[in-house]
Amino acid sequence: MKATRIWRYLSAGALAMTAFGVLQPALAADGKALLEAKCKVCHLPDDNGVQRRIGYQRKTPEGWLMTIARMQIMHGLEISDDDRRTLVKYLADTQGLAPAEAEGLRYAMERRLNTIEEFDTQSKEMCGRCHSPSRFALQRRTAKEWEHLVHFHLGQWPSLEYQAMSRDRDWLELALKEMVPTLAERYGLDDPAWSKWQQERPAPTALVGRWSFSGHMPTRGDLHGVMSVEGGEGDNFRISLDGRYADGKPFKGKGSAILFTGHEWRANVEIDGVAMRQVFSVVNGEMKGRMFETEHDERGLDFVAAKSDQARLLAVQPEFLKAGEEAELTLVGSGLSGKPDFGPGVQLVKVLEQSPERLVVKVRAAADAAPGSREVKLGKLSGPSLAVYKRIDEVKVVPGYAIARIGDNGGATPKVQGRFEAEGWATDAAGKAYRVGILPASWSVEPFNERAAEDEDVKFAGVMQKDGVFLPGDAGPNPARRMSTNNAGNLKVIAEVEDGGQTLKGEGQLIVTVQRWNNPPLP
Amino acid sequence: MKHLKPINDKARKLQQASSEDRIEEVLAMTSVAGCTATTDPGWEVDAFGGVTSLCQPMEADLYGCADPCWWPAQVPDLMSTYPDWNKDALSSAESWRNLNAVFPKDK
Repeated sequence: MKATRIWRYLSAGALAMTAFGVLQPALAADGKALLEAKCKVCHLPDDNGVQRRIGYQRKTPEGWLMTIARMQIMHGLEISDDDRRTLVKYLADTQGLAPAEAEGLRYAMERRLNTIEEFDTQSKEMCGRCHSPSRFALQRRTAKEWEHLVHFHLGQWPSLEYQAMSRDRDWLELALKEMVPTLAERYGLDDPAWSKWQQERPAPTALVGRWSFSGHMPTRGDLHGVMSVEGGEGDNFRISLDGRYADGKPFKGKGSAILFTGHEWRANVEIDGVAMRQVFSVVNGEMKGRMFETEHDERGLDFVAAKSDQARLLAVQPEFLKAGEEAELTLVGSGLSGKPDFGPGVQLVKVLEQSPERLVVKVRAAADAAPGSREVKLGKLSGPSLAVYKRIDEVKVVPGYAIARIGDNGGATPKVQGRFEAEGWATDAAGKAYRVGILPASWSVEPFNERAAEDEDVKFAGVMQKDGVFLPGDAGPNPARRMSTNNAGNLKVIAEVEDGGQTLKGEGQLIVTVQRWNNPPLP
Repeated sequence: MKHLKPINDKARKLQQASSEDRIEEVLAMTSVAGCTATTDPGWEVDAFGGVTSLCQPMEADLYGCADPCWWPAQVPDLMSTYPDWNKDALSSAESWRNLNAVFPKDK
């Protein structure tokens, strides 16, 4: 059976786009036995008794999934979805990454695909010119294993030596002599952080209970609520979310979660009929990460939650207050009690609502309240800040650079939307710029440059909605365009914000580009 | 590169970008998570941070590039990994709708 046929079989039905569609307890067999049964036929133990290749690597659940998927595609491994899930779980648990090892790279697992990555030039040119460097930075290997990875790349994709940033140098020599030692040093197999985490990782039952959460969904606003977590056997959980947006609209749903490596929380939930994924790290009673639609990972929210037995202040919503005005603020957290202190010039008028998870207050900022960002305190708790401002001085479009993709039109790949917000900035007494927060704006697009104007990108690439969501055009050649080109475009994204009788303008760039068909969980 | 001479307009522009020290600008584009900008041309973005120098409509010559694994992280390569990817879409311009995503969806 050819590899692609296996894929077709596996892909049948309306399934989750990202990994671990429906999470169930491992029924098929236990992970260790599966590793023997499915992998040992090729990966025999070496002289040290370690299973060749596999035993010298550690990675994230997504990383292991991509590895096993590659074994299916390239090497004819036959494995059921259930068994693959069991194997990913076993490998991520026994050869995963400690929280500290994934720090700064979680954006890749969280599908924050407009992230501008910061890596050294050589890593970008040698590896990052095709795929995100996070793919290797979220792995740990011995030097020999990094070397095998280089050989595998050249063997599988030999034309990589002919591409730009490769044909001008001895790519293989550099990869073996420079990249391998660098990778082995930066991302070596043995790391004290991993040994420490294996000792420290808490029992899954520690996660059972109530979690107060705060979130922000770009173009939709702030939200908060409570997530109940039950179960825990075999690292599997049942969860339910009961929350609401700032405008009162409910945010409710149920689903199931699984914990990998003692901290990598992955869940599938249905919120108001929409399938969503949770990709969080759970450490010390705090869950943090991103929740996004399974079929549209560009639609998602930042999420942070604290367990009820932890006193923690998570957020202030909204996060700004105009001098001379009165407003309602919501403090979100767990174990909340007492009266909040917003610093000089901001007076607490009235407590409107109080629970351990939520404190709603009416406050008034004096006309002469010092502009700036100040820490909010509630008893011994602190963390979130409140920006007090007199006037907005600058508007930034976030993300400042974004990629949207054409899609649909009968094809297999959905459109990837652009989603923008206007971030207000002000200046404090010392002349330092500080972030105020997300403000309502009017949205439009313009050609980014002369060429985009000539090609009528604004007309063809898609439509900017009133809420800052850009809907890209249809996939496929467009006979109405010069050379029947695709509905791609290079656009300037413009936000106009009204503040105190003035209109401030912010600009960003949106590349509307073509679809991709190879879309694994790590970009 | 010193032994290569540009023979068309696009190549001249690339050489110009290189000589004007705009490589950093080009590199910045490679840094958007998972996008490729420098595989002459890039898949999502061209070397100038725009889309006009890309191979578009990409359906016109998709397999000419998918076959030799030109953008293997974005487009399934026909040579090594996905030989049957275009089995139901032998003409990419006509039947691109039959091309499917390749990473397995989980159940």
